[in-house]
Amino acid sequence: MDRKFLKNAVILTAICAMSCNLTFAADAIKIGVPVGLSGANSVVAPGVVQSAQLAVDEINAAGGVLGRQLELEIADDGSGAVGAQKAFDSLVFQKKVDVIISMETSAARNAGLPIVNKGKVPYIYTSFYEGHSCSPWLFVDAWVPEQQVPPVVDYFMHFKKAQSFFLIGSDYSFGRGMLSFTRKYIESNGGKVVGEEYLPMDGTDWTAVLSKLRASKADALITSTAGGAPNVSLTKQLRATGLNLPYGNLAVDEGTAKSMGADGQGIYISASYVTGIDSPQNKQYLADIEKKFGADLKTPNDLSVPEYEAIYLYKAALEKAGSTQSDKVQQALAQVSYQGPRGHVEMSKQHHAPLNMYLGQVQPDGSVKVIQNFKNVGPGAQCPN
Amino acid sequence: MSLILDIISTAAILYLVAAGLLMIYGVMKIANFAHGAFLTLGAYVCLVVTKLGVSPWFALPAAILIGGFFGMFVEHFIVKPLYARPLDAILATWGLGIVIAQVITLIFGREVQFANSPMSGPMDVFGTEYSSYRVMLIGIAALLAAILTFLLTRTRFGLVTRAVIMNENLARGLGIHSGRVRFFTFSLGAGLGCLAGTLITPLSSVDPGMGIPWLINAFMLVMVAGSSMSGLVLATLLFGGIQILLSTFVSPVLGGIAIVLLAAITLRIRPKGFSND
Repeated sequence: MDRKFLKNAVILTAICAMSCNLTFAADAIKIGVPVGLSGANSVVAPGVVQSAQLAVDEINAAGGVLGRQLELEIADDGSGAVGAQKAFDSLVFQKKVDVIISMETSAARNAGLPIVNKGKVPYIYTSFYEGHSCSPWLFVDAWVPEQQVPPVVDYFMHFKKAQSFFLIGSDYSFGRGMLSFTRKYIESNGGKVVGEEYLPMDGTDWTAVLSKLRASKADALITSTAGGAPNVSLTKQLRATGLNLPYGNLAVDEGTAKSMGADGQGIYISASYVTGIDSPQNKQYLADIEKKFGADLKTPNDLSVPEYEAIYLYKAALEKAGSTQSDKVQQALAQVSYQGPRGHVEMSKQHHAPLNMYLGQVQPDGSVKVIQNFKNVGPGAQCPN
Repeated sequence: MSLILDIISTAAILYLVAAGLLMIYGVMKIANFAHGAFLTLGAYVCLVVTKLGVSPWFALPAAILIGGFFGMFVEHFIVKPLYARPLDAILATWGLGIVIAQVITLIFGREVQFANSPMSGPMDVFGTEYSSYRVMLIGIAALLAAILTFLLTRTRFGLVTRAVIMNENLARGLGIHSGRVRFFTFSLGAGLGCLAGTLITPLSSVDPGMGIPWLINAFMLVMVAGSSMSGLVLATLLFGGIQILLSTFVSPVLGGIAIVLLAAITLRIRPKGFSND
């Protein structure tokens, strides 16, 4: 009787140990992805999710990280502050994710930061933005104005002999932030800003602004409008005026520029990623994501590729830290690097990343040709303290 | 010169956008908040024409026809039961606008799309380079104003319509089928809205929400113009002109609210607006 009991106990313990061990091994590392599936970001968000899925599937197929699989927890943040609070709350405190890696609007990021700080969860922000957002838990692997603006201005000054610039934007924080940096940069390089005009964010009638541009006789135009309608209407109306001057658009992505057809031709764009980057990593990435999503593929862009790279950066940080423990991962994130489609990425400069920047020009067939490559452009002092 | 062209062409665009709304408001005293969606519909007509690969000029008659037929449908099933309840009609047309925008989103997707423009590039106007499309819009607006004025003042339809506007009960007593007048005016208004949507496509983007920014200005102009076509011409020239002057010499952000602000002030001082009756 005793022996039988003992035997059963041993078997039970063994089973328990096995199954407990199994559940422990299957316990995936959770990556929270709050993203704007509805609202203003709904056009770009699906591409970001695809990019994240590719990275996670690749890593899992290669055996995962620290013997564990990765798992995505996707949440809709509604592209704004209210939705982001709910999304971050549920990811950090209910789903208990190990990290948050996502492209979001600035409003959503600002709303999510206090929650991340309270939950002590590392947060990799993968969208370019106006800069100077700082927290011990926040890391950024995309560009800030200090990195995007100089290629356009430098190119116009040196190769187009532009001395006077005209700036046009939409009246909101990103538009004004970008152009105020642009103005400073132009003036510190000896150029002149002969006009700076804004329309309200939903404004699409640029008649008066374009007449001022014509009257100003500026050598070059740089714009930073809200995405979508304002940007498109400005470009169309500009083309109809027949004004022919170098036109740098800080707010257009490759896909939109392509779909503008003849109106888009000749626009200069500055980005850390364009599909035309000639590197083995980029070609491999494009082939892999094409194979995975086929006809459903959203064109990879400057918002989706940083998401892919951020997941690999997180993987590297986990391996360096040897665990998912937040404070160790946080330290490691500032030290690791990854060679991705955009080139070498590391978030080593005050939690921001020096990046390769590309100046591209939209060609007659809609493709973006890389005109100049700026290696290792620093983000400047983003969080000096 | 370029300033004068800016003012006239802006007034022309405002007139085109507001004319359909005025037809409906003037006759029915119903504020058609679905007008923004009619504009959007017109833009997607333009998009479909582009995708079919035929000349962009085809979009203009197509927009009037599609808008007109759609207007008939809307009048019969949605607006007609609400004639005695103008406030409910506002809600119903506002809701209809949302429904149309969502259906368009379902069919064509959320993203900004591009339609071919019938004309592009600049032309020479008395020594000034100016967008040829905007110059053409001035012509179209003038033509439309002439046609509408002729229709309302020189035809049987116009006579009957004006009778309904002045005194509907009396008109009915004289044997005028006021329901039919309302039916045709609404369809015409919808057709004009759709046409305006097609005409503004080369100036803006094609997306499901594109009609909304135009709606508010058009609505304000119609409130000021009352039920008079000439009042609308005056209102667009005056307010459009002030909008351009403010945008050019003060700030485009201020110019953006000029029409709404001026309309509010005008109606405060003179509740009838620019109409005489």
